[in-house]
Amino acid sequence: MIERQLTLIMENKPGALARVVGLFHQRGYNIDSLHVDPIEDFTRYKFIEDELNIKFASHEVSRLIIKTTVEDSLMRQILRQINKLIEVIAVSDDESTYLKGILRDENLL
Amino acid sequence: MKLAGNDMLIQSLINEGVEYIFGYPGGAALHIYDSIFKQKEMQHILVRHEQGATHAADGYARATGKPGVVMVTSGPGATNAITGIATAFMDSIPMIVISGQVQSHLIGTDAFQETDMIGISRPIVKHSFTVDHQKNIPQIVKEAFHIATSGRQGPVVIDIPKDITNPDDLFDYEYPSEINIRSYNPPIEPELSQAERVVNAIMDSKKPVIYAGGGTISSNASDELRELNSYIDVPVTNTLMGLGVYPATDERFLGMLGMHGTYQANMAMHNADLILAIGARFDDRITNTPEKFAPKAKIVHFDVDHSSVSKIIEADIAVFGQVKNSLQLINSIIKERLDELDKDKFDNWHKQIAEWKKLHGLNHQMYKEESDANPILPQAAVQHIYHASHGKAFVTSDVGQHQMFAAQYYHFDEPRKWINSGGLGTMGFGLPSAMGVKLAYPDEEVICITGEGSIQMCIQELSTCSQYKLPIKIFNINNLSLGMVKQWQDMNYEGRHSSISYEDSLPDFKSLVESYGHIGIKITKNSDLKAGIEKAFAIKDKLVFVDIYVDPNEHVYPMLVAPNGSLKDMWLSKGSKT
Ligand SMILES: Cc1ncc(C[n+]2csc(CCOP(=O)(O)OP(=O)(O)O)c2C)c(N)n1
Ligand SMILES: [Mg+2]
Repeated sequence: MIERQLTLIMENKPGALARVVGLFHQRGYNIDSLHVDPIEDFTRYKFIEDELNIKFASHEVSRLIIKTTVEDSLMRQILRQINKLIEVIAVSDDESTYLKGILRDENLL
Repeated sequence: MKLAGNDMLIQSLINEGVEYIFGYPGGAALHIYDSIFKQKEMQHILVRHEQGATHAADGYARATGKPGVVMVTSGPGATNAITGIATAFMDSIPMIVISGQVQSHLIGTDAFQETDMIGISRPIVKHSFTVDHQKNIPQIVKEAFHIATSGRQGPVVIDIPKDITNPDDLFDYEYPSEINIRSYNPPIEPELSQAERVVNAIMDSKKPVIYAGGGTISSNASDELRELNSYIDVPVTNTLMGLGVYPATDERFLGMLGMHGTYQANMAMHNADLILAIGARFDDRITNTPEKFAPKAKIVHFDVDHSSVSKIIEADIAVFGQVKNSLQLINSIIKERLDELDKDKFDNWHKQIAEWKKLHGLNHQMYKEESDANPILPQAAVQHIYHASHGKAFVTSDVGQHQMFAAQYYHFDEPRKWINSGGLGTMGFGLPSAMGVKLAYPDEEVICITGEGSIQMCIQELSTCSQYKLPIKIFNINNLSLGMVKQWQDMNYEGRHSSISYEDSLPDFKSLVESYGHIGIKITKNSDLKAGIEKAFAIKDKLVFVDIYVDPNEHVYPMLVAPNGSLKDMWLSKGSKT
């Protein structure tokens, strides 16, 4: 088991964070650390805007960084479960990214 | 058009084409109920307990494929709905649950009938919304219906504070015609390359099995599944949730698989070299010990939900997309390559399966061997119900032995006819879900096969059935005990029957249902069984409750040996296993 980092880009809406945290508890995964901030400047994630054909306003979307220690084999399942949350726009681990439901084989976030 | 929040909510439901709202009023929902009163397009069905509302909406959804709609008040109304929401969630059933909430300024103050509905329901909904302003109502309702009915379907909660439904505050109303949720994009079309790999795998296999589940029904892919098998002609098994998606009376049908699956279905899965899992999720009632599951099989998994694939059993080939679209693509490829498929290569496999079936298959003729020297067998009761309803009825069920007997012995030839709580296993589901089905299909025969334990968990809905004149046929497989629990105690606890008997406290169901204005029939001996069941079906305009006293010592077999067993390890009768 090694510590892994997940990055999420999600809608900054009330209750959205609770869904992510709740999911970790519900599925039996532990959160080692959690950092959330609303994204002011979206330049770094311009490719998401291009992909979705949309322009995000400042603070409309949040970035979550979660550190968790899990079996390697569970990592894919965690990613997929997070990707299923309706408000999650993108989620990545070290090797892959789900961008609005579509899997890419690299960490884009 | 300017509308108040309460009217906006109701108008939005009308715009969605809702026919029925199943619900129960209360303080926080009163403005909404006033709007319901003022309109004619939808009918509100007043249940007797909010759990009944959720199961009725759920039954409606399972039978029609359209989302069921539930309306409850805050606090106890909302918490009473929880079991039904969880039931729908576990079986991926589209449902919209609207819960009243205390006024916005009271939220967080422990106000009268305040409960954090969004928090309580979070792990058992596909998504949920709090309405923060009237102007967002149309958009939220539109999104809720879209989310509930697309991708992997499921329940969506809309929690709406009372002040937002205030009749005096008017706002512009326009119902959106299209919807695009920028963070939500469930797969629809499969990848061609994956589909081609699947077809190659079929061409290469000698012992294939199709294992189709509830997702095939949700995706309305029964026709595509049947078409696929008209080309490849291989054995098909269905999960408890999938029954009816492939015709049970077809020669290639193996019966249900899993915990109480047929011998031939479980053996075929265990020995297969290729498993085509279609809208099924390798639940633990299916796999037995996952490490021992189908050791020789290549696994192909069709699913709309990424997180279902390789969750329990690693898939060799995954096809993401709506099952219907995926099967259409597979069919179009196979049609082109039919000459490559040598169907004779499956002959030995079919022969082997026929042998298994002959050896330990279910006895569907038990109803022919009855005598008053013996108690009524629950299996035979189901067989009579099957014949008397010509195999065409909608059948809802509860949870326990009676449910398994219904699944094993009522042959479903069409999807959406078998309505039961597979994932959560909710006792109390049968009667209210039958109400939802009967409202959707008033001219069809709707049966509830239940047990004396389960029926008492929502028996108050007998009153709803008289109010709305729902002539359901209820068959109570009465074994005087929590039979399934008792079976486990017989098998795993040396027959220590802890808390499974009501002693002499059961009601006289016949007089009970008659007090609601229904007809009761009590059957205690074999010689009355056939005639009693046929009499129930002959009564067209009334709810008939048939209380059938069956052998209290009967067990459901086959039953998978656990823990550490594989799919080939089954109990076949008391004291004998494979
Ligand atoms: C709400 C709920 N509580 C408890 C259970 C556990 N349980 C499963 S089957 C069963 C017995 C059901 O008894 P009955 O309805 O009479 O059916 P039988 O097995 O006797 O046919 C129980 C208690 C359940 N599935 N649902
Ligand atoms: Mg019973």
